[in-house]
Amino acid sequence: MKLTKTILLLFVLVVGAVSWIKSGDKKYKTHLLQFTIPQGWPQPVYDFKQNPVTQEGFDLGRKLFYDGRLSKDENFPCASCHQQYAAFATYDHNLSHGFNNSFTKRNAPPLFNLAWQKEFMWDGGVNHLDLQPLAPMTDSNEMGENLDSILLKLKADTAYRRMFKAAFGDDNITTQRMTRALSQFIVMMVSANSKYDRVMRGEDSFNLPQRLGYDIFKRKCESCHTEPLFTDFSYRNAGLMIDDYLKDVGRMKITHDANDSLKFKVPSLRNAQVTFPYGHDGRFYSLLQVMDHYRRDVVSGPTTDSLLKHGIPLSNFEIGQLMAFIYTLTDSSFLNDPRFAPPGYENRTQQKPLEHQHIYKQ
Amino acid sequence: MRLHYIFIQLSNVAMIKREVGKDFTFYFICFLLLMIGNNINAQKISIHFQNKAGDKILQADSNYQNALGETFTVRNFKYYISNIVFYDSVKTQTYPDQYFLIDNADSASQQIELNTSLKNVTAIKFLLGVDSFKNVSGIQTGALDPAKGMFWTWNTGYVMAKLEGNSPSANMPQHAFSYHVGGYKQNEKTAKEIILQLPQKINCTNNCVITIQADILKWFNSAHEIKIATTPFCHEPGKLATILADNYSNMFSIESAK
Repeated sequence: MKLTKTILLLFVLVVGAVSWIKSGDKKYKTHLLQFTIPQGWPQPVYDFKQNPVTQEGFDLGRKLFYDGRLSKDENFPCASCHQQYAAFATYDHNLSHGFNNSFTKRNAPPLFNLAWQKEFMWDGGVNHLDLQPLAPMTDSNEMGENLDSILLKLKADTAYRRMFKAAFGDDNITTQRMTRALSQFIVMMVSANSKYDRVMRGEDSFNLPQRLGYDIFKRKCESCHTEPLFTDFSYRNAGLMIDDYLKDVGRMKITHDANDSLKFKVPSLRNAQVTFPYGHDGRFYSLLQVMDHYRRDVVSGPTTDSLLKHGIPLSNFEIGQLMAFIYTLTDSSFLNDPRFAPPGYENRTQQKPLEHQHIYKQ
Repeated sequence: MRLHYIFIQLSNVAMIKREVGKDFTFYFICFLLLMIGNNINAQKISIHFQNKAGDKILQADSNYQNALGETFTVRNFKYYISNIVFYDSVKTQTYPDQYFLIDNADSASQQIELNTSLKNVTAIKFLLGVDSFKNVSGIQTGALDPAKGMFWTWNTGYVMAKLEGNSPSANMPQHAFSYHVGGYKQNEKTAKEIILQLPQKINCTNNCVITIQADILKWFNSAHEIKIATTPFCHEPGKLATILADNYSNMFSIESAK
């Protein structure tokens, strides 16, 4: 009897000790989010094993993305240049505005389908999504802040300490955790539900101009703007005359190779309807200007892409059909997805944003 | 360690079921001895980096002169040390995934302490800089946290070493010169493998200390000649960075080993 009691007592003690030791981890329970690869798409390149997306990490990333305190004067959150209604580009701006009334040197790219992207920036200078936010954060003409001071601001905020703990297990706030949380938010921005996608899935059909446009696209654009991402992620000189103020040599700045002079990453055509102006320095204010460039103004230099040596012959008729097709790449469900709106947006209004509602009625 | 502890605790319970409570104390004491024993077993090697300008200790407020006769002061001197390997006559011991940022302004950073199981150490090898793997593996933390300021955000990559200061010869605002040396890609590599033979074999059973000198004068004149007057700054990977890296690969020597 005594023996049984002793064993029982010891057992209770051990179980108690184990659960006490484990109790530190008890509150750290994350909820994995499913990342769905759209039907027929390639495998993403982002390493989800290293940074699994959780609801807690996603929520933290979303708060960071919309928080002006990540910039020096607290006026420039990531979202100031990456606006959801512009597919996370800067709406109607050739160059974006940064700290101290400065301009950026290039057109802000839209953010979507970044899980499939290996290199970032127009020149591909950044080699990992988790490192990408550091560039705008520290650049003097963007957010103008330094990392130490961003971390200090976050550490001083109890809400952040709570959210870092929920996402990563303790309230240690580091650069790594900050940018991984941002990645968790950004990597979930998948745009794959445009009319084009619905047609490909057999749920919808093109009208005549869209179908003719798709045929022209496949003959004249597809080799660089490859489906389904509508870019092959290569760097090419599209024959744009160098801007004599910006003097931007593009990819050559990173590789120091003269063969890369004036080359820039091929941008995706998805959501192009809302990402105007176009081009690495936003010099084209409309799709029509882009088309005119390709049929009329391509500069043939030593690094101009071999596919563009003589421009792209396009008739007015073809341009009309191409535009009709490009508009089918607008993904209104992505542009209005409440998950990517500012935190708390769901509670403020049940209405869709007023701007750009016309996108629904294409 | 905790898991280990729990495991032993649980196996204790199983034992107790058979052997009754009296043996518990015995196993618990054994366990404690094991824990203490683990700690006693660890012998340590300390590496001490001593930054110098020629034969003088490098200090922020002193004037120095390079072989080309240019005088200068040094405001900031930092470099990464990684991939350390110790050699004894037969074995090696490696320290993968350990990165250290040596900062001339922070004396604690100049001491690296490592556990070793080697009895006699004859040589040390390390990488001055950060291997290319860590340059392509996304965001890092600890010594490799980009917030340490040894990282290029616009053209991904670590600054392997930084030397900054002022010199009347520098044709720049405030007569400042600054060398930020990095680059990991083919033809732009700046991380340098350094092998230093110890003057004599050292016995590390009772801990040992290797003091390594880093002479900044070698930055200006060893494999190549670098004039502050004509080359006051380097802020990106490329040709100049690799030339500076050739130079700094010659800056280390063993001062003492005991």
